[in-house]
Amino acid sequence: MLDRLTEQIKEIIAEQLNLDSADITLDTRFKEDLDADSIDLAELAMTIEDKFRISTPENGNLPELITVRDVINYVKDYSAD
Amino acid sequence: MKIIIDAMGGDNAPGAMVEGAVIAAESLNANIVLVGKGEEILKSLRNLKIGDLPSGIEIADAPDVISMRDDPTAAIRSMKNSSMVVALNMLKDGGGDALLSAGSTGALLAGSTLILRRISGVRRAALAPIMPAAFSNAILIDCGANVDCSPEMLRQFAYMGGLYAKLVLGKSYPRIGLLNNGTEEGKGPELQRDTYRLLEEDDKNGKINFVGNIEARDIFDGAIDVIVSDGFSGNILLKTIEGMGMFTLKTLKSLLTGSKKVALAGLMLKDSFAEFKRDVDYTETGGAVLLGVTKPVIKAHGSSNGNAAFNAIRQAVTCARSGYVDAIAEMLRNRPNPDNFTNSESTTGD
Repeated sequence: MLDRLTEQIKEIIAEQLNLDSADITLDTRFKEDLDADSIDLAELAMTIEDKFRISTPENGNLPELITVRDVINYVKDYSAD
Repeated sequence: MKIIIDAMGGDNAPGAMVEGAVIAAESLNANIVLVGKGEEILKSLRNLKIGDLPSGIEIADAPDVISMRDDPTAAIRSMKNSSMVVALNMLKDGGGDALLSAGSTGALLAGSTLILRRISGVRRAALAPIMPAAFSNAILIDCGANVDCSPEMLRQFAYMGGLYAKLVLGKSYPRIGLLNNGTEEGKGPELQRDTYRLLEEDDKNGKINFVGNIEARDIFDGAIDVIVSDGFSGNILLKTIEGMGMFTLKTLKSLLTGSKKVALAGLMLKDSFAEFKRDVDYTETGGAVLLGVTKPVIKAHGSSNGNAAFNAIRQAVTCARSGYVDAIAEMLRNRPNPDNFTNSESTTGD
């Protein structure tokens, strides 16, 4: 189940950032390794929230996503599925 | 054709947008949706001595307003009932053909990117204002959406700007220039030098009509149709032009009211000065189009009056009719790698 989730998230990240999902590991850092900026991370957060039915916090603040592992933990902790 | 307007954005909201919408509904073949506080919109109509909602105009109620002080991304995510978010979602869901807002530029950029999304393959959306008519209707891309840019981003701006110039401004073979501090090859910092090489290569391969570096003072002579720039330099250029235009008009007005004799001469030249004012006045040129997102979005000047709003609505209609969004998407479909333009057909130079 977790492996499937990991693969799903890696594919989303790969599509969002125009990368090959094979190049993405759990410890890949968005800013340092993938050259992502704040707009990339905001888009990623909203895609993940839509896909996994996660409610946007009332204040609208973005989750702190530093590595791919952070995205997986975010989904595990907050997904309605 | 339906234009969605964020009626609550800008210093003169909602009055300016309502006034612009009324003029547009009368003179353009377009329907308009005013999104915002219904009561305030109706009050603005009453201020124009209009009792009933004019034909072609409808109101979509949105009780909240994103202010200039709000964090753009957080506001877009949390203020679902704001006029800007309601308008963007309406556009996304097919409730209109183009969107106009004079609200927070940061929020409109964030909202357009997060709600409408970028066209597949577009690295970054960019703001492209049209220079006033006196400057031969060139477009500047980018004027502030992206402070930090890469050469590949500027290359995409050149292609997107070229398509826009061709389809919306009617330039058959758009001349593309790179804003720099000198015309010679090798001028400027690394970003400009590397971008020059990319654009020059594309020009040699017949993909674009790159005419080289251009200095800010030379954009006024009409030799360029697309001015490519990073958002930081582009914003300074745009603000300088606006400031210079206002300064020139103010100085002329002051000179021509100095004495009775000069005032008489001014009266004789009244029509010429009115024409000059129209040529340099930003309210006559519409707004800045956000190139790279999946629907036409126009950012009007924050201090837009009714005339500026009308001209921006007219621009939105032209943009929606031109099909430039589909043209950019088609161009990028032919280029699997968005940063690689070397294996494709000409899109701006045919």
